[in-house]
Amino acid sequence: MSSPFDVLIDRAPRWRRPGMRLLFALVLRPRGAAIIARLAPLDQALAGLLALVRYDDPVQARALGWDADAVVDRGRVLRRAAGGR
Amino acid sequence: MRWSAAAKTLTADACVIGAGAGGAVLAAELAEGGMRVVLLEQGPEHDPDSFSARPSEMLGTLYRDGGQTLTLGNPPIALPLGHGLGGTTVVNSGTCFRTPDHVLELWRRSYGIDVDAETMRPYFERVEQALSVSEVTPELAGGNAAVARRGAERLGWSHGYLRRNAKGCVGSGVCVFGCPTSAKQHTGITYIPRARAAGAEVLTGAVLRRILVRRRRAAGVEASLRSGGALHVRAPVVALAAGAIGTPGLLARSGLGGASGQLGGNLSLHPATAAVALMDHVVNMARGVPQSFYIDEFITEGMIFEGVAGPPAYVAMSLPLSGRRHAEVMSAYPRLAQFGLMVSDSSRGSVRSLAGRPVIFYSLGDADAAKFRTGLARLEQLFRAAGAREVFLPLRSGVTPERAEVRDLKLMAFHPLGTARAHARASQGVIDGNLQVHGTGGVFVADGSSVPSAIGVNPQLTIMALATRLADTLLGAGVPTGPVPPAAHLSMH
Repeated sequence: MSSPFDVLIDRAPRWRRPGMRLLFALVLRPRGAAIIARLAPLDQALAGLLALVRYDDPVQARALGWDADAVVDRGRVLRRAAGGR
Repeated sequence: MRWSAAAKTLTADACVIGAGAGGAVLAAELAEGGMRVVLLEQGPEHDPDSFSARPSEMLGTLYRDGGQTLTLGNPPIALPLGHGLGGTTVVNSGTCFRTPDHVLELWRRSYGIDVDAETMRPYFERVEQALSVSEVTPELAGGNAAVARRGAERLGWSHGYLRRNAKGCVGSGVCVFGCPTSAKQHTGITYIPRARAAGAEVLTGAVLRRILVRRRRAAGVEASLRSGGALHVRAPVVALAAGAIGTPGLLARSGLGGASGQLGGNLSLHPATAAVALMDHVVNMARGVPQSFYIDEFITEGMIFEGVAGPPAYVAMSLPLSGRRHAEVMSAYPRLAQFGLMVSDSSRGSVRSLAGRPVIFYSLGDADAAKFRTGLARLEQLFRAAGAREVFLPLRSGVTPERAEVRDLKLMAFHPLGTARAHARASQGVIDGNLQVHGTGGVFVADGSSVPSAIGVNPQLTIMALATRLADTLLGAGVPTGPVPPAAHLSMH
């Protein structure tokens, strides 16, 4: 099964994927993260994506009161009740 | 429908490229008016059963380039764009503003376009009816809107609840990641079914190669299908609606629209940012309509504040903190509030093609940077007035709004407009006031690229109303009409 990082990389423009793989590999290591932190825009973009993946984890999200599965289930029931797909 | 193995050729009265805000509306209106319509969409058709309410998954599914479209310039700006049937209307917040009267007046005066509030009114009404546009109720707006409302009331700032295209909304909080209830009335579930019911042929996974022109008139298009093979559509009317980022390249590839030198230029964005506040009480921003409330006190200065909210992952992505401090603040997620600032820009960028892909150049000018400095200070003022314990501005640590340089700003942008702008004079615009490409009969543009100036508000209604107006023009211009049974709409060769 693909990790969320793999999914994000796979959906990025093709020419950007090798660079993203390298940057994710770097930013997940302390020394690499320190290098990237010196490049403000890059640091911001990668930090945002890392945070996105981390807090989208169901365990992490539920601890903060967000249950995506429950939202989807409720939506599906309402959609079907309204005659939608 | 039957296909010839040798050559896949369709014949229609109109071929529409792109199924977003403009293309879906145009296709449905033309088909219902009796025209034989082929609608080509590059992306897929989204199944609402696949909507997971998980931002990291839905970015990859619903957004072009996984939501990672970036501008080149200072600062680099994320520009999220939808793809597939419905286009960006599938992933926008559903906010509906009519084009402000002063903008229509500007178009009439400075661009020679024959529009005003009165002539556009029936088109807006028609679109609003189709999309079930109504004002969000305070109950549905949720706790995040209540925080902003409290601040605005204490400061005496003009404000209100937004009008949205939603029906049966229960405040799932994930408008921009695919509405799980299908409450948001995006064009993929409104106009596309209407187009199909009226006999339009809607093809997904169809990539336009070029527009065919004979004797300076549209003759059709050539496309390739992701499922394999090429497609040839013969049509005397071709309407491009691939969005302000996609349309210029498609015109250029076909050798059209370039005479004025304006093609791909005049790119207006709606640069935006957001602040987060830690409150003493529970806000629970994941419940309710994320973009339900606005503050327009400063709209004449080119700035508007609108709600932004979402699940923890969404907030975590934009929270301008790092490391342990980021984790500490995120642990208080139920007490966090967030509100956005959008700037009506005077900066202009461009879209160019590189190896067949659009590359977006845009740098924020001094005037717009000044608006962000002022706007961020006001966002902090808003949250303080609402009783915030702490306010987190989207700036580098230690930088105050007054001292912020352009490179310090953490921006996103929405609503790209103007890259094939309308202007009555062929030397100043790519298309004329009727949205037809100057010098080429039968080729039209029906998306945000036609919009000649920044409009200062969310533009989906503007794009849809202009597309409705274009359909009206085409149907009244003696273009072939007449009821044709859906199954017989397309001739095979």
